Amino acid sequence: MNLELQKGSRSKLLAAILLSLMTVFVVRLFYLQIIQHDYYVNTANKEQLKRLTIPAKRGVIYALDGNTPVPIVMNQTVYTVFADPQMTNDNEKIIDTIRQIAGGNARDNLQSLLEKRNSRYQILATKISRVQADKIKKLKLMGVGFQEESQRVYTEGSLASQTLGFVDFGGIGRYGVEAKLNSRLTGKDGLLQSVTDVSDVPLTIGNNNINKPAVNGDNIVLSIDRNIQSHTEQALTDGLKRTGATRGSAIVMDPQSGKVLAMANLPTYNPAKFNEVTDAASFNNNVVSAPYEPGSDMKTLTMATGIDKGVVSADSTYVNTDHIQVDDRTISNASYGQTGTISFQHAMNWSLNTGFVTVAERLGDGSSITIGARNTMYDYFYNKFHLGQITGLEVDGEVTGTIIPPTSADGNAVRYATMAFGQGMDVTMIQVASAFCSIVNGGKYYKPTVISGIIDNNGKYVTNKIVDPTATISKSTADQVRQMTQIARNSNFAGVDKPGYYVGGKTGTSQVAKNGTYATDETIATYLGYGGSEEMSRYVIMVQVSGDHKEFAGNYDAMPIFTDISNWMLNYLELQPKG
Amino acid sequence: MSYQHTQTFNSRRQKNWSRNQNTVAFASAIKLGPVAHTVLVALMITVLGLIYLTQATKATSFDYATEKIDSQIAELNTQKNDLQIENARLTALETVKSSSVASTMTTPATTDYISQ
Repeated sequence: MNLELQKGSRSKLLAAILLSLMTVFVVRLFYLQIIQHDYYVNTANKEQLKRLTIPAKRGVIYALDGNTPVPIVMNQTVYTVFADPQMTNDNEKIIDTIRQIAGGNARDNLQSLLEKRNSRYQILATKISRVQADKIKKLKLMGVGFQEESQRVYTEGSLASQTLGFVDFGGIGRYGVEAKLNSRLTGKDGLLQSVTDVSDVPLTIGNNNINKPAVNGDNIVLSIDRNIQSHTEQALTDGLKRTGATRGSAIVMDPQSGKVLAMANLPTYNPAKFNEVTDAASFNNNVVSAPYEPGSDMKTLTMATGIDKGVVSADSTYVNTDHIQVDDRTISNASYGQTGTISFQHAMNWSLNTGFVTVAERLGDGSSITIGARNTMYDYFYNKFHLGQITGLEVDGEVTGTIIPPTSADGNAVRYATMAFGQGMDVTMIQVASAFCSIVNGGKYYKPTVISGIIDNNGKYVTNKIVDPTATISKSTADQVRQMTQIARNSNFAGVDKPGYYVGGKTGTSQVAKNGTYATDETIATYLGYGGSEEMSRYVIMVQVSGDHKEFAGNYDAMPIFTDISNWMLNYLELQPKG
Repeated sequence: MSYQHTQTFNSRRQKNWSRNQNTVAFASAIKLGPVAHTVLVALMITVLGLIYLTQATKATSFDYATEKIDSQIAELNTQKNDLQIENARLTALETVKSSSVASTMTTPATTDYISQ
């Protein structure tokens, strides 16, 4: 037997073994990389590829300080401190630290929370600031972690709270601008899809990376002037204290643009503590969400309709007997004694219901409120003055109110006779104030707005374009009604205004319909007026006060609040008096 | 492939470049078999792999640097935001109204206007 191997046989054997091994590797790699490709790619992606949401920042809300935007709703990063009781090893130190640094934001029962060994997550403190969180982090407490979150900060406290609304714990805007413009303020979250390491640090390796930046919410500038808002709230608070009313609302508008300069409601609340509010009615912005019968404020619009149609003028006369018959109903004045042949100016001064029912009659055949008269009144009230419909003000909760059309069975002569002096209809303060703006500005209806512009990405204040107004009445009609209200104010409340200015207005005392009938123990007091120079009105103010089972009068309870705001506005706007 | 042993070394370069000079032709005594070749090829592939790995790691190290800078930017933005909030609070109407300056202000007895 020849044991000597043939020449080259070892090399051949080794080569064969290597080749075999290589074949095994190649086959295995083929199986793994080609046949099982999708499976392993998916498995790897599951472990390595992370989809991280880049949260969009909620837009900041600004108010105006004169013409300068100032932030009044901002975002602040706050932290929740939590512990894993199974990981903590020095509970005494943790408790001392949290109590010392977090203070009132720490939970009361820290000891018992940390002793829950079967739990992996216990919250020790909430809403602590970055500085506080940094102090705790430096101590490197075992088993203690932090969760970052963003919360709204209301730098002006409760100022304009019903206009602003708030953001709930789920990050959704509720009430006011926060709710109405929630989608604009929220922005759009971005997406970061990337291979990450064990610490979730995104790496640029891989072909499936996506980096879609977040689109932050709009930074909105309100037309609310914080100084006017503050004074309006103060005047309303003082007025309610003086009158004993429990509810009050006020709105200040720029009649030359339709911008809302202030909008206040009492009782109010602090949006930062919305969860502590016991009466949800405090959240409502009654300027837009509480329809009521406008009462005598409406007489300005009825007069405007009559003058514009050429059937009456301020100096036209009628015979006042303190009562007027409409179909089977007798309508009476609230104040008696101004009987005889009197002018419509006189009727305006004394707020006589009979005068404005007469205007409605003259829109018809002169002695009755015909269908033609009703159609005319409806056209002016609904189509031109936009009563009984959404104005589109950018706050949540606006309601339409009701103007019954003449085509309805209820739209009869009696209905329209009462509508002539502000009963038998439901409107909101914003509707009435916006309509009145069109009287004091010469007959142009501007869509009311509470938004003045935005702060763009470069930090520049970009103002919104004012929407073109629609025509309501002729300029001569508007000027005449404006003058009538100026005379009415001066005849009743001479000396209350700063001298040298052109200020006018109309009182309103509305009955309250409850259970289908007017309450005998409750009225709503309003005052609707304007101020500025004879050439141009610079502001319109509407005030309303009320309370359950309480009677209030426009001239005693609402008018002084108007005067307070009006005189302050004349100073604030730096208007020079004449004479 | 076969190799022939020789004691004479002729330099081809000198032969070509100058006359009457000895030339040497060197033939290596080290023989490389197929295994050695395979190992060498494997080593070269390994080196290439290492070079690739170094570059890939370098890119990843940039990611860590980027992440660090991003964190710093975020931290500074948070600090800036906190300062803006503090500024807004300090200039809020309530703060201004209750300030010591405001408390010493008085209402003017008369007001005059510059005629225009």
